[in-house]
Amino acid sequence: MPRYSKENKAIFLLVVGLLGWVVPGAGYFVLGEKKRAIIVFTAIILTFCLGLYIGSIGVIDLFGTSAIYVKVAQVMNPPVAIVLGHYTVGGNYPVYGWPNEIGQVYTMISGLLNLLCIVNAVYLAHLYRTEMAGG
Amino acid sequence: MSIITVFVMASFTVPEKIGAEPQSMLWLLPLAAAIAVVYKVTKLPTITAGNFIKEAAILFGSIVVFIIAVALVLYASAWLITE
Repeated sequence: MPRYSKENKAIFLLVVGLLGWVVPGAGYFVLGEKKRAIIVFTAIILTFCLGLYIGSIGVIDLFGTSAIYVKVAQVMNPPVAIVLGHYTVGGNYPVYGWPNEIGQVYTMISGLLNLLCIVNAVYLAHLYRTEMAGG
Repeated sequence: MSIITVFVMASFTVPEKIGAEPQSMLWLLPLAAAIAVVYKVTKLPTITAGNFIKEAAILFGSIVVFIIAVALVLYASAWLITE
């Protein structure tokens, strides 16, 4: 049975976490959990896109005056959120009232759900590696 | 770029018209569904279609029922205070 060093394990966990951030569900995909990966990808992308549809891309206000907790939650989305944040600098896509609030809630929740899946995928990877190492 | 692509992209640059109406509360349903689905994905040890749909539906129903209960309590409180 193969033995893995602590460094290799840490790198593997980091890769799983980073992949899970870049593409929702990719962390599970790497672990062979394809059903989980497809469901997570679909649910998170749909939630994020629905938020953008309701409030427009203006709800991604990473470099503006939005509250810090909004920005932190939205950054947990895939990096496309950061790209959109650059487009919306300077108030190019103004959005106010309920569409703004609902859109922000959707994009924040999709980011936090992605964070939940990243943490869970890294934990599963830790368990798998521990089992493989006979630990 | 095709007209359909332009139309789809344009729909993401203008916000929808959503007023402060009771019907606007229905926007919580897709969000509750997404939360139920993703949470159950992380919790179930094995994913099978029947079991997963059942568990996610139960959680979705629980969330909606709890929100309705909270709304009724808040409505009753507001009614008692203002009457």
